[in-house]
Amino acid sequence: MNRVQLLLLMLLKAAWVRKDRSFTALLSITVVATMATVALSVYSDVGTKLNREFRRFGANVIVTARQGAFDVKELELIKTTVGSRGEVLPLAYAVAQGPSGAPVVVAGAELQPLRELNSWWSLIPPIGNIQRESPPPVVAYVGPRVAEVLSPQGQSFEIKFGEKSLRVYPAFVFHSGSEDDSRIYIDPEPFHALTGISPNVAQVRIEGSPAEIENQIRKLSAALPQAEVKPVLQITVAQAAILEKTRSVVLAASAVVVILIVLCMVATFTGSVLERRKDFAVMKALGASNGAVNLVFAGEAILISIVGAILGFIAGSAVAWWIGAANFGNGIPPRPELLFPVAFGSIILALIASSAPLKVLREIQPAGILRGE
Amino acid sequence: MFARLLFESFRRQVRRKAFAVLAITLGMTITTAMVSVATDIGDKLNQELRTGSANLLITPLADNLDVNIGGVDLKPANDGVFIHESDLIKIKKLFWKNNILGYAPFLSANQDFILSGRSLKAPLIGTYFAQPVPLETQNFVTGVRSVNGFWKVEGTWPSDNSTDALVGASLARRDGIHIGDELEINHSRLRISGILNTGAAEDEAIVAPLHFVQQAVNRPDAVSRVVVSALTKPEDAFARQNPAAMSPAVYERWSCSPYANSIADSISKVLPNVRVEQIRQIEQNQGNVLSRISGLMLLLTIASLLASALAVSAVMAATIMERRQEVGLMKSLGAGNAKVVSLFLTEAGILAIGGGVLGFVAGVILAHRIGQSVFGSSITVPPVVLAIVLFGALAITFLGSTGAIRKAMRFDPAVVLRGDA
Repeated sequence: MNRVQLLLLMLLKAAWVRKDRSFTALLSITVVATMATVALSVYSDVGTKLNREFRRFGANVIVTARQGAFDVKELELIKTTVGSRGEVLPLAYAVAQGPSGAPVVVAGAELQPLRELNSWWSLIPPIGNIQRESPPPVVAYVGPRVAEVLSPQGQSFEIKFGEKSLRVYPAFVFHSGSEDDSRIYIDPEPFHALTGISPNVAQVRIEGSPAEIENQIRKLSAALPQAEVKPVLQITVAQAAILEKTRSVVLAASAVVVILIVLCMVATFTGSVLERRKDFAVMKALGASNGAVNLVFAGEAILISIVGAILGFIAGSAVAWWIGAANFGNGIPPRPELLFPVAFGSIILALIASSAPLKVLREIQPAGILRGE
Repeated sequence: MFARLLFESFRRQVRRKAFAVLAITLGMTITTAMVSVATDIGDKLNQELRTGSANLLITPLADNLDVNIGGVDLKPANDGVFIHESDLIKIKKLFWKNNILGYAPFLSANQDFILSGRSLKAPLIGTYFAQPVPLETQNFVTGVRSVNGFWKVEGTWPSDNSTDALVGASLARRDGIHIGDELEINHSRLRISGILNTGAAEDEAIVAPLHFVQQAVNRPDAVSRVVVSALTKPEDAFARQNPAAMSPAVYERWSCSPYANSIADSISKVLPNVRVEQIRQIEQNQGNVLSRISGLMLLLTIASLLASALAVSAVMAATIMERRQEVGLMKSLGAGNAKVVSLFLTEAGILAIGGGVLGFVAGVILAHRIGQSVFGSSITVPPVVLAIVLFGALAITFLGSTGAIRKAMRFDPAVVLRGDA
């Protein structure tokens, strides 16, 4: 048996003979590694998770043609620039006349994407029975004020633009709490047939962090010099503020938890080394040098911390995944790159925690310890 | 005898007891700090967001519809009904006055301006910037500066009793308007003190003090809409119920909950002929995000509590296992199991209460520090947290000790005293 094998055997035997003590030390290292993994995983993923939540806020960028309307090429360019990380909804507005001749704002937009973009709208089917009409009226989404004034029974009604007229049926009444509440939305084809107006505004929802949104705005501005590209500050400023504050709180809270748990672990580890003063004295009495004793204690600390770090990394990744799944409906994926810093940190902490009491023990004579002093 | 044993145990094993108290203190510090942060973060972020953007909109009840495209009001000038500015103070006298953080009234009209001899047409919007409103109990200052925190101004904000104004960034760029320029409107003069960037309709307008605009358009005491920033609770199924269909008892419970709908309902009761709506894009989505963040902190707190409970239990178990010889000695001197258990549990209880109190104090300080560094205000620690911490400390130490005590009792005293166990 060579020296390394002997050392390993001693370490394993020591761990096995004092199972309780080894288990306590292993448990404290595992707890530290678990919390470190949870904190680092949550901190690094919270931004992505919250940015995804901000999708629900709807359009965060408005692109407006400086003059006239967008042509098909320009709209295509906006869609290509935004790519798969966003949505584009072209819109056109006109002031039409209701049945009494009073003005009403009509907007042309694809109704299904409009509904998805404005997911906070509360959509209510109108009160009243649907009357079968021939030809069938054009489907419209109307704001609650339009419903009150022009369609109190949920009936279809006529709107006029110049010489042309169109019968619309309010398929849904939406509540937005904005100027949209006085508007009628219809699909682009009937809108264009009625008014001849093409889209001059595009509502754009870009997914990502505030910096990524800023970057996309720059790209859109460069691609469309004839259009004005503006962030909806009400949304982007709130997103940046929430992200910053939340990341700071998670960081501060995680730092507090990890530091305190580390202190707790160091106390446990130090205690367990101090309790082994008799082992220390026997080793010294049998002629072991300070270096040899240090090697044995450090070897034990390293062995326990490696096992604890691996167990903690697995447990921490599972807890982080659960936190993501329970709160955001989407688990936080394990980050293998965290294993090395967690293991390295655990080994260093365990070595610090076990070396400090050894210094104290070295100052006491082995005979004194064995006598029980 | 029991008290003496207890006293001697603490006197002779200072290091061991100090480790145990340290572990409990650290565990309870985590508990106090995390519970306090998790329970207060929702309110803190809500407060932060409310200074960023308003969440309620008040408009006059009218028979006709708003005709507004891109922030330009296309209704005829003599059309429409208005809200009385003098009535707005009632918003701050409601049952929910403490939840109302601020409001900003608006009056807008399309106007012709003269700039250096050339004429231009643009929407003129009147509002409060930071208007003092006399209240009996407090010095209340309200306006867009406190409710629309996302408005960015290059230059200086106008004061509410001046003839200074802001020009929207898009309008300034298009029509070449600069800071310091003077605009003439209906024989009055407006000096541009800053360029406004909102990412919304105001970017195309001139924004001036409300009283100036009321005079310019000859509408004294009139405002066309008001935005209100109110601290609310995220909407749930109960909040969405129709108040008209509620029994009086249910209505009372509903109206005493700070939902956006119930605050809107109480505003509409004090302001005649208005419609109060939640700005759903803000209210619904921010409520959703706040719930997610509170949920995240709650789960992190649970994970931290479990971790600290494990750490404290491990320390307690180790402390007792190291005292097997003491147990053996007591038993060989004739002590019964009950006496030994009660001695160890009393010790654990004292350690738990000591560590719990110290941990609570340290946790309060830490929570305070976190609040100050992130939000610039301290985090409130509810007194009930002390009870939770003490109960938690006792439960964790007893749980950690019980298994170890039971194990220590199972050893034969002779074997333990020989040092073989």
